[in-house]
Amino acid sequence: MNIFTQIFYLLRKEITLEWRQKYALSGILLYVLSTVFIVYISFQNIGPQVWNVLFWVIMLFASVNAVMKSFVQESGYRQLYYFQLLHPIAILLSKMIYNSLLLLLLGGLTFVALAFIAGNPVQDAGIFALTLFLGSTGFSITFTFVSAIAAKADNSSTLMAILSFPVVIPILLLLVNLSAHSIGLLGSTDIADKTMLLGAVDLILVAMGLVLFPFLWRD
Amino acid sequence: MKKYWWKILGVLILLYTFFMGLLTPLKTGISEASPMSLHAGRSETVTVVGYNSFFTKEKEKLRAWLKLPNGKALAAKRIDVVDDRVAKLTFDLPSYLPIDTKVKDFTLLIDSPVDGASVLPGGIAVTQDTVNLALADALWPNAEISQLHEKETITFPFRNILGETIRNTYYHVPLWMAMFIILTGGMVFSVIYLIKNDADADRKAMALSNVGLLLGILGIITGAIWAKYTWGKFWSWDVKQNMTAIALLIYGAYFVLRASFEDPEKKARVGAVFNIFAYASLVPLLYIIPKLTDSLHPGAGGNIAFGSEDLDSTMRMVFYPAIIGWTLIGLWIGQIILRTTRLRDRLMEV
Amino acid sequence: MLIASKKALSTCLLFVLPLTFLLAQQDTDFMRSMGKMYVVVAVIAAIFLGIVIYLIRLDRKLTKLEDQIKNHG
Repeated sequence: MNIFTQIFYLLRKEITLEWRQKYALSGILLYVLSTVFIVYISFQNIGPQVWNVLFWVIMLFASVNAVMKSFVQESGYRQLYYFQLLHPIAILLSKMIYNSLLLLLLGGLTFVALAFIAGNPVQDAGIFALTLFLGSTGFSITFTFVSAIAAKADNSSTLMAILSFPVVIPILLLLVNLSAHSIGLLGSTDIADKTMLLGAVDLILVAMGLVLFPFLWRD
Repeated sequence: MKKYWWKILGVLILLYTFFMGLLTPLKTGISEASPMSLHAGRSETVTVVGYNSFFTKEKEKLRAWLKLPNGKALAAKRIDVVDDRVAKLTFDLPSYLPIDTKVKDFTLLIDSPVDGASVLPGGIAVTQDTVNLALADALWPNAEISQLHEKETITFPFRNILGETIRNTYYHVPLWMAMFIILTGGMVFSVIYLIKNDADADRKAMALSNVGLLLGILGIITGAIWAKYTWGKFWSWDVKQNMTAIALLIYGAYFVLRASFEDPEKKARVGAVFNIFAYASLVPLLYIIPKLTDSLHPGAGGNIAFGSEDLDSTMRMVFYPAIIGWTLIGLWIGQIILRTTRLRDRLMEV
Repeated sequence: MLIASKKALSTCLLFVLPLTFLLAQQDTDFMRSMGKMYVVVAVIAAIFLGIVIYLIRLDRKLTKLEDQIKNHG
């Protein structure tokens, strides 16, 4: 099997598994909804600036929770099985793609929930969608790779937060900045630059992940 | 002796930076002028407080001007020197000014054969009642600013908000540069470890990251002290401050990660992977993000960079050696840590 | 090692920052006198203190190692 078919099969497996144990997926969705609700209760009146920041903070925490299980929750036996059967790059890429899709869904849901409760300040939907796309891929790449690192240690859930937050902050700053453009908080002068920068960061991280993952895998 | 030359070099360079950085005087400057606002059509007296100035020496040759950005200038009619630091300048302002607004900031310029020329950029606002360019051109006694003196001794530039703290350029900024050089070295050793699987390369990576963390912490503390007396707060939520705090968090996480493994081989491998990944995610952004957003630091969002204005040639003579000096000292400390860990690992094997 | 750096940080925060605070509190503003020269002094003192604390931690670590070697031998 070449890498692409491997990725395809792994992706199908992830989705079927997720679909079978719906509680994990619905748990995350519920997490988003309750967070949005708590935020609404505590803030009552949410201006565009706060909306922007809140959206990405909710997104950040929900993403960590959603992605954490990708490596941490897989048993050692299953990993050994994959290791003998598949190419490590296929494993990492399939997880990253799957998590990007999941986070995109999550982002959409957060947006709908927040817009329903606190109003929709987004003026330029195109830029916002682009930001969401770049954001969910960036989050997915970082968190997937960090969860692969954290899975090697014993107290992995704490490590996951410690390791991933500092690494993701630069991406988060860019995202908040870019989505502020779509809300109209900032003038739209250098959107193209920032988008390209974010895309470049995503690409660098994917490349680093693909190069480094085989070393992590070897056990 | 052969083994120690770079350590000695590092110490000598740092000694040089401390001597040069602390003993070189600042250029003469104007630290205060009052009143800050004048009115056209009157004869006004401005009291000027100089910094490192010697007004009483050759006071007959003292000259002063009020200058506009377009080069037009008005010479002071009378200069009364009170003492070395204080002088009173009297200007006869015509009723109409060659400007198209009612209020304009003028630059105060004083020239002395002893101290050289000193300026207070945009320090004095002059108000006129009505704008009349034609009348103004007729009335304005334009003075030629020429034959300005240069101070002959070696000096550092004078900046009003910075004062003597401009010297911190040699004690705060090089810590960052050295930190980056050393952290980059640590990342390179992590790569070498992954390629060659050599335990010593991992020890080197760990030692260098450790020194980098030390330099970073020192940089944050010195930066906070300097910020307190320039910007008013220890922590001003400036982009560069935040980004470097993130860098420290990442390297803190690196050591936490290492500490959570028992098996030395696994510790080294996972640590190396995280080190490279974190470096790749962080360092490009440390250079790019501050350029995109506003920052209080120079070189960002419209602020002047460390170009000709901020870092003049005398400052470069101390600043660049300071980077090399701190890097060498950092490498020295790193080597001691490396030797300690080597010793510990050998002891573990026994 | 991490603990060493942490200690260095906390000790610096414990000593240097309150010191500058105290000095800043005075109305005559000692820190700002002489063209803020004392800010430079404080910065150099902070660097010196940080490095000394770091070296002390390193020294202790080496002493511990030496003790272990002695016990083995």
